[in-house]
Amino acid sequence: MSQIETFYDVMRRQGITRRSFMKYCSLTAAALGLGPAFVPKIAHAMETKPRTPVIWVHGLECTCCSESFIRSAHPLAKDVVLSMISLDYDDTLMAAAGHQAEAALEETIEKYKGNYILAVEGNPPLNEDGMFCIVGGKPFVEQLRHAAKDAKAIISWGACASYGCVQAAKPNPTRAVPVHKVITDKPIIKVPGCPPIAEVMTGVITYMLTFDRLPELDRQGRPAMFYGQRIHDKCYRRPHFDAGQFVEEWDDENARKGYCLYKMGCKGPTTYNACSTVRWNEGVSFPIQSGHGCIGCSEDGFWDQGSFYNRVTDLTQFGVEKNADQIGLAAAGVVGGGIALHAAVSALKSAQKKTQDRKSAQEEV
Amino acid sequence: MSERQLLVGPFNRVEGDLEIKLDIRDGQVAAAYANSPLFRGFEMMLPGKDPRDALTLTPRICGICSVSQSAAAAFALAEASGARMPAQGALAAAILHGVENMADHVTHFHLFFMPDFARPAYAGRAWHDRAVQRFTALQGSAARATAEARARLFHIAGTLGGKWPHTLAIQPGGVTRAPAAQDRVRMLATLRSFRRYLEDGLFGAPVEAFAALTTIAELEAWETGDAGLFMAISADLGLHLSGFGPRRYLSFGAYPLEGGRAMAPGLWDNGAVTPYDATQITEDLSHAWMLGDTAHPTQGQTLPDEDMRESAYSWCKAPRLGGRVTEVGALARQAIDGHPLAQALAAEGSTRARIAGRLLEIARLQLLLEDWARALDPDARFMGDQPTVKAGTGAGLVEAARGSLGHWLRIEGGRIASYQIVAPTTWNFSPRDATGTPGPVEMALVGAEVAEGEETPLSVQHIVRSFDPCMVCTVH
Repeated sequence: MSQIETFYDVMRRQGITRRSFMKYCSLTAAALGLGPAFVPKIAHAMETKPRTPVIWVHGLECTCCSESFIRSAHPLAKDVVLSMISLDYDDTLMAAAGHQAEAALEETIEKYKGNYILAVEGNPPLNEDGMFCIVGGKPFVEQLRHAAKDAKAIISWGACASYGCVQAAKPNPTRAVPVHKVITDKPIIKVPGCPPIAEVMTGVITYMLTFDRLPELDRQGRPAMFYGQRIHDKCYRRPHFDAGQFVEEWDDENARKGYCLYKMGCKGPTTYNACSTVRWNEGVSFPIQSGHGCIGCSEDGFWDQGSFYNRVTDLTQFGVEKNADQIGLAAAGVVGGGIALHAAVSALKSAQKKTQDRKSAQEEV
Repeated sequence: MSERQLLVGPFNRVEGDLEIKLDIRDGQVAAAYANSPLFRGFEMMLPGKDPRDALTLTPRICGICSVSQSAAAAFALAEASGARMPAQGALAAAILHGVENMADHVTHFHLFFMPDFARPAYAGRAWHDRAVQRFTALQGSAARATAEARARLFHIAGTLGGKWPHTLAIQPGGVTRAPAAQDRVRMLATLRSFRRYLEDGLFGAPVEAFAALTTIAELEAWETGDAGLFMAISADLGLHLSGFGPRRYLSFGAYPLEGGRAMAPGLWDNGAVTPYDATQITEDLSHAWMLGDTAHPTQGQTLPDEDMRESAYSWCKAPRLGGRVTEVGALARQAIDGHPLAQALAAEGSTRARIAGRLLEIARLQLLLEDWARALDPDARFMGDQPTVKAGTGAGLVEAARGSLGHWLRIEGGRIASYQIVAPTTWNFSPRDATGTPGPVEMALVGAEVAEGEETPLSVQHIVRSFDPCMVCTVH
């Protein structure tokens, strides 16, 4: 593998200073929930280990994951990421076209056989022999199987690859299926979200390089460090939820005061993602901060769980069997304990008939 | 006389998948057939859902013009329910939408269109070294500066919309986020820094100077910045002599504000601008793998032909206005808005005209965005009433970066009964209609030169990309 350059080589060639490089390492360590002690470890890995080759393929999708990816928080993260993918194969961003592009894909597979990460954005439709998504004259599902055969691991970027997302919403006209329904013999890391947060995407790749292993996954196959907590757990509007202060109508007095959006249909209480901590567009904001509830886009089947503007039902908290309409009166001064929270989470989750390994997440944190 | 057929695709640096079949005769394209090989079936998922869910579902059609989709859905719902955006709500929505369109334009120019001129095939041309240095895919200095400037610009989308892509803030009655005074200051600062990026790299001059160009001769004399580089390349390769579209343009008019649309709506035909008649829009299915008859979107349906019959060749329907082929996009918008340079370019209708029209819109949109941000009043209302609607119809007609986008919605019993979408690239990359008339890009490709043995003809690349296709929107 010695002929493959390191990430640091790539970055140096692109004129990135040592200072920005170290900044990237510390930002990534923070995003991964690792202490400052890990910064040199990450830096060392980026300097000495051969760059992880990544092949990025697109099925039925809207390219929102790539879009999110190319504007990662730190400008440097973006450079790292672009180097990660540009040198190999990506059909939205790369320079080649047509047959050259297909040849480039074959070459990359051959060159890094067994070593590359296959990043899948979008998913394959199976109806009509896959004819609803054709890449280079062949159904995408064939390209996917072919590229997966010699991959070390697969990253299912976004809700499409992880769960099927919008094209799999009822009635799923093309029978679009998530990647793990087609590829069953490779480790698959799911990074759901529509799209996933850029920092989560870069963090996962950096983690794999630094520690030579897949990040800890929860039972659904998501990296626990990013999907271990609900949006609700770290939401800056949480105190208003606990105090029973809710927005009742768009842009009402309560909305201006930044009250909780639960009654406007916010799915934060049932959604596992890092939006409320990492935030979006270089840490500027996230949907709840913009005054709109969370739609739960990193959860399986979120399109078909009822309207996005209906409130989450059966929500209990602190073990008290009261819904949010009643709780406001009683909640003043209550501080939530972790254990009670977990109990509430489990109840909620089983109510939704979803499986969720909270234990592994807890251990990881 | 030599004849051959060529299948060009996949096109990279294009949003989504695209394949074009070319009949080549004597070194020239004699006929072109555009195929959109990706179908997801959004119009089949929407019926039965809560009408408001269209606000979250339809943006997922496309990750690069998701705000356009959400705005179209919001306006369709507003028409059906009688909701009206307060003036400041409309202004905030326009900023959000304008930022996305702006980002799409600079992405197209720097990351999708110009990198083709850095190809080794052009080595030796006077401009080639500069093109390589600026535009080599993912590495050129302009490509890097653009990715960065774009990410910074999207702070505005973050501020107003919480997240981008797939922003949720635009509602039928306004926007969910009332920007505070400090948000306004921050947005103005972001726009100032974006202006610097445009003036340092793209124009090499004040944006006002580019926006003030009035004739093609003045445009041809433009030498500074990457716009100047493009003009030099265009003159050398004759990009004004290829890629002729139907020279008939439609714009729904962009950015509805209280006093009307900031960019005027209309139909440009043979130098004259007239109001367009939305009832004259039809979708022809004769060459699409879709079942049903030619119909207005309110009557239209989406039933994929699973047999993929021989006489058809694309999942894309063929929209026509008054039965005729019509092009949409930034050039159309600027010409219909009455800009003199754009009018001259619209008459030219070439590859160059489309690119220059887009550059012109970048300059003008920057000025608009600055005005809008200044006009934000944090104390005003940003959201009006949002009546629930049990039954009704509505159309949401907006301008995405790539052109006219329409959503047609019918609600019955409080649920979506029908939802049809016609996207910009559906217009531009439409297949033939029942009369056999090719769509705009198919028309524009005829006459493109293809060298002996050339498998991925450069001329074809330039023409196709000049439309800035967004294939995921095309068929959805």
